[in-house]
Amino acid sequence: MKRDELIGCGIVFLFGGITAILSLQMPMGTFRMAGSGLFPFYLGILLMVLSLLFLLTLLFAKASTPQKPEIAAPPPSAKKQMLKFLGASALAAAGFGILGYPLTSFLLMLLLLWILGIKRPVLLITIPLVTAAASYLLFVHFLRIPLPKGLIGL
Amino acid sequence: MIESIQHLFAGFGIAATAANLLYCLLGAVAGTLVGILPGLGPIAGIALLIPITFGLSPTSAIIMLCGIYYGAMYGGSTTSILLNVPGETASVITCIDGYQMARKGKAGPALAICAIGSFTAGTLAIFGMVLLAPPLAEAALAFGPPEYFSLMVCGFIVLSNVTGGSLIKSLMMAVVGLIIGTVGLDPVTGEYRFTFDSTYLLSGIEFVAVAIGLFGIAEVLANVDQPLEKLEQSVIVPRFRDLYPSLKDLKASVGAILRGAGIGFGVGLVPGPAPVIATYASYMAEKRISKHPEAFGKGAIEGVAGPESANNAACQSAFIPLFVLGIPFAPPTAILLGALMIHGVVPGPMMITEHPDVFWGVIASMYIGNFILLLLNLPFIPFFASILRIPKKILLPLVMLFCLTGMYTVNNSINDIWLMLLMGALGYLMRRWAYDAAPLLLALVIGPKMEVAFRQSLMLSHGDFGVFVERPLSLVFLLATLIFLCVPAFQFMLKKLGKRPA
Repeated sequence: MKRDELIGCGIVFLFGGITAILSLQMPMGTFRMAGSGLFPFYLGILLMVLSLLFLLTLLFAKASTPQKPEIAAPPPSAKKQMLKFLGASALAAAGFGILGYPLTSFLLMLLLLWILGIKRPVLLITIPLVTAAASYLLFVHFLRIPLPKGLIGL
Repeated sequence: MIESIQHLFAGFGIAATAANLLYCLLGAVAGTLVGILPGLGPIAGIALLIPITFGLSPTSAIIMLCGIYYGAMYGGSTTSILLNVPGETASVITCIDGYQMARKGKAGPALAICAIGSFTAGTLAIFGMVLLAPPLAEAALAFGPPEYFSLMVCGFIVLSNVTGGSLIKSLMMAVVGLIIGTVGLDPVTGEYRFTFDSTYLLSGIEFVAVAIGLFGIAEVLANVDQPLEKLEQSVIVPRFRDLYPSLKDLKASVGAILRGAGIGFGVGLVPGPAPVIATYASYMAEKRISKHPEAFGKGAIEGVAGPESANNAACQSAFIPLFVLGIPFAPPTAILLGALMIHGVVPGPMMITEHPDVFWGVIASMYIGNFILLLLNLPFIPFFASILRIPKKILLPLVMLFCLTGMYTVNNSINDIWLMLLMGALGYLMRRWAYDAAPLLLALVIGPKMEVAFRQSLMLSHGDFGVFVERPLSLVFLLATLIFLCVPAFQFMLKKLGKRPA
């Protein structure tokens, strides 16, 4: 089984438990005049009950085939690629305020293209440059939406 | 009825202004692109483009956002037929016969039938909306908090039941969404909940970040999570002269289109992911009544015409519960509800009287939008299809950059980007572990309404839970909920009985 299923179920159960515990620190009130903690408290309990029910179905579904995940398990190299892709996006989020939009978007595109295997220098420079310039023009000049200016002040 | 038609004509006066026509066209084009591009479905597409509508009037903004929604539904079929990759869930069925037609060199007629069927069904459904919405809005005035609460519970159970995965898992996701929806200000007492002294959480969890994360970023990550060689795709691009269907194709499709329109319209009115259910129901109906059921799966044009018509009709009629009851039954309409509220329009039974310009203007724009989509989708299909030739290695970084930028522009907040990335990672894991994200998003959007209805009901009844079963309409919704909850149990028992040796 079902290791993944058990981990998922455990996380959901914990989430429900933490919600219920935190809700108890809020005014509960009565059913007639419910306090702010009442609704989330019962939701937390319901989530715990549902995850226990799911755990039971996992334990008792002996011979039945496990539910097919929406996407198959990726090979390790692809997983690494995905983690690098997500990491680069997180770096961009961190750099938005400091470096400003045009520079961050250029660097992000360059990094993401490189991660996905585009190694030709012409493409690696041209695509990010065009994308950063076009998106900057679209948002800042055409749609008049302010984007972070950062160090370069654009 | 005559009054409704008069209002509709007034709506045309609003929708046919130069500015609104432009926004309708922009929405339809953007929606078609969103439907075609991998990594962006109607939910992430609408969520991403909400900030662009901030400077517009509510009517223009909703016209544009609705255009994106039904444009995406049109566009989704293009990738199904040309690539065998559905642009969104509702186009899965179109892959079966649509791609087979493309392999036989009939991609053009398949795409044209999709456009004609979608236009016909969409137009018929809008006419149904004009007739049904006003009397339903009047009837909805009788709804009190218990009815609203029971209806929302029913909606969750139906959605969880029909999304295809495990019912318990879907319910778990709905409850997680409801819990996330409680973050921020208590709608009744005004106290703060689960904010952990963070000013960012005071206004609650940004639903746009959750929507783009769960449906946009997660899709991009799922695409990136493949070996490099798999990121390449081959696409069949039809020529303009090959687009037009023969008279035989048209004749074979007429019945399927009309039946699809009827099925789609009916399904759109009930809770659940209407377009998905409607396409399945229409495909099964066509196969059942066909004189050549063996042709289905091998390129039967009825297998494309019926589901695509049902898909579009369901999209249109799904606006009825949204506008009339203020309750979205599926994630795309939940996002539209959020957008309406951002623009100061609260959907519900009073919307027709309080915002007639928005209501009738948007309905009239749907006619125009459907016509624009027909014009766009027939001659420009080769152009849209050629977009699919852009390698995914370039497209996926572009989508990621667009998601990051779009998210920032909603509130000018970098915290929103962090939340979106977190939700993207969570959405990716949910896909791996076969948890459905749709109930979570729907619950997040309607959770606060549901809580208010629940607490108001109990206040009215002095804490007596009997209020939910004493009122006839509420009881009907709860009985329907019970039936939907029991369906999987009955199916399980029937399966067991069927396996038992005689």
